[in-house]
Amino acid sequence: MDVVDMKNVYKSYEDGKIKALNGINLTINEGEFVSIIGPSGSGKSTLLNMLGALDIPDSGTINVAGRDLSSNKKLHEFRAKEIGFIFQLHNLIPNISVAENIEIPMYTQKMSSNEMRSRALKLLDDVGLKDKADIKPNKLSGGERQRVAIARALANDPSIILADEPTGSLDSKTSNKILKQLIDLHDTKNVTLIIVTHDMDVAKLADRVIEVLDGEIISAGDDSLINSKIDV
Amino acid sequence: MSFLKFILKNPFRRKNSAILAIVGIAIGIIVIVALGGITEGLINTFEDTIHAGGADFTVSGKETGDSAYGTNTISSNWTEKIANVSGVDEAFPIYVVLTSVGDDYMNTLIGIDPNGTALADISMKEGRIFEDNSSEAILGEIYAEDNNYSVGDTIDIDRQEFKVVGIYQTGDQNMAGGVFTSISKVGDLMDDEDSISNIYVKVNKGEDPQTVADRIDSQYGDNITTVTSVMEMTQMADMLNMLQASTWAISLLAIVVGGLGIINTMLMSVFERTREIGVLKAVGWSNGKILTMIVGESLVITIVSAIIGSLIGFVACTLLGPLIGMEPLFTPKIFIQAFAIAIVVGIIGGIYPALKAVRLPPTEALRYE
Repeated sequence: MDVVDMKNVYKSYEDGKIKALNGINLTINEGEFVSIIGPSGSGKSTLLNMLGALDIPDSGTINVAGRDLSSNKKLHEFRAKEIGFIFQLHNLIPNISVAENIEIPMYTQKMSSNEMRSRALKLLDDVGLKDKADIKPNKLSGGERQRVAIARALANDPSIILADEPTGSLDSKTSNKILKQLIDLHDTKNVTLIIVTHDMDVAKLADRVIEVLDGEIISAGDDSLINSKIDV
Repeated sequence: MSFLKFILKNPFRRKNSAILAIVGIAIGIIVIVALGGITEGLINTFEDTIHAGGADFTVSGKETGDSAYGTNTISSNWTEKIANVSGVDEAFPIYVVLTSVGDDYMNTLIGIDPNGTALADISMKEGRIFEDNSSEAILGEIYAEDNNYSVGDTIDIDRQEFKVVGIYQTGDQNMAGGVFTSISKVGDLMDDEDSISNIYVKVNKGEDPQTVADRIDSQYGDNITTVTSVMEMTQMADMLNMLQASTWAISLLAIVVGGLGIINTMLMSVFERTREIGVLKAVGWSNGKILTMIVGESLVITIVSAIIGSLIGFVACTLLGPLIGMEPLFTPKIFIQAFAIAIVVGIIGGIYPALKAVRLPPTEALRYE
């Protein structure tokens, strides 16, 4: 079953001078692990933003987890329920504890403080950081912070995890640990995992590699999904 | 952690900036509280002054016109009627007659209840007040001086001997040249115990004398009339209004200065947390929730300022006021006003930065370096 269905999606910036997405057609199956690769400025992050309902297309349709994302209506509710974001930089809030950072997405749900706390501790346990629950993020290593970010992405039990260069700022050893953790979570929770990376080694870990160049998909890892206009 | 706790924690992330903002707003609050306390203290003192000496107004018979010391009389029944009018605290009758006093063929003799002399706006310079229905009199200081009387002397009034038990002083030149004794004694002398000249009226504290006088006029205006010290009251009211207006002007200034300070602090906070706001949007926070968070943080700063400013204003004014001869009076109204201003400043100061944060597209906020 398709969890993502994009048809003829166009997006440009600066009054059309920058064409970020140029007629994207893409489907992703539920529970699939997909990586999106491409050079800087190829449009892979814009594609990820569209999938995560952080931006809307100029034209075309995007359907993610059964929701039409072509208009701005209540997209925050969709993000809160269906999407878990992991960024290159962990983007944790410095003045609150690790567990409290994981609770941040839960403010969108009707949960008591105790429920939030116990769920945060459970997620920290999943990423092996339960003992760090009450310390501030600045006391953690880079890898640990990113694991906290993974736990935060899972806070509302999303159906899709979108990771934008999740290992981009980590050394290779830590990077491998993080990737293993992500893959484990994908396997155990059957969540759809979409990773944007420029690192081919990372991309190859996915079930399918989607290659983006100049706002177009030049390879979708599946011939049927290749953008018809591209002749590479 | 509850959302409220999160809001309470956030402003103190940048401690120095928060402290500076709090100091700035607290100074405004200190001024508002201190000035409010001083103004209330002055109002209280003025009210005490107005109410301490002399009646608020005088009731006379219709035919006596505006003359409070006219010699026409009204029935003594009026005293009880006036005392029963809503807003009246005390009503004391006086009986003013012209009769022989000492060597003078004609002088003013005023009869009043010994307990009502305060309403006549006289104070004892020497001796004591006469006793009721006794042959005792007190003399105005001008009369006593002009006629060489002193306490302990005797004086003939309407061919009866009276003992001088006191000398009184007053700002009223007419009364300073007169003689007081008890009203019952004057009734005896005149052989007319059912008549009085005027009624001195003092209204309850907090009541507007003019309103009470108007009430009496509307109720009994066909037979009697009231005379108020309108000029005095108007001047007092003008002065109090001016004081209150300056308090409000300073409060307004505090709102403007405090508002600008908090806008600056919150704008800096939003600017520095642009990426974080992007993350909050990405994890599904609604614009309303982000707006509530930032306005809430602004309110935390201003309410902390209000608490600190109120405490300092109260303590400083209470300790320093008496040293400069002022007695501040702190009513709940002052603190309600200070907190209301702090809340208004918090909302005004927080709303613009909050709107800036809300309008940030999440993709731009997340890209922010």
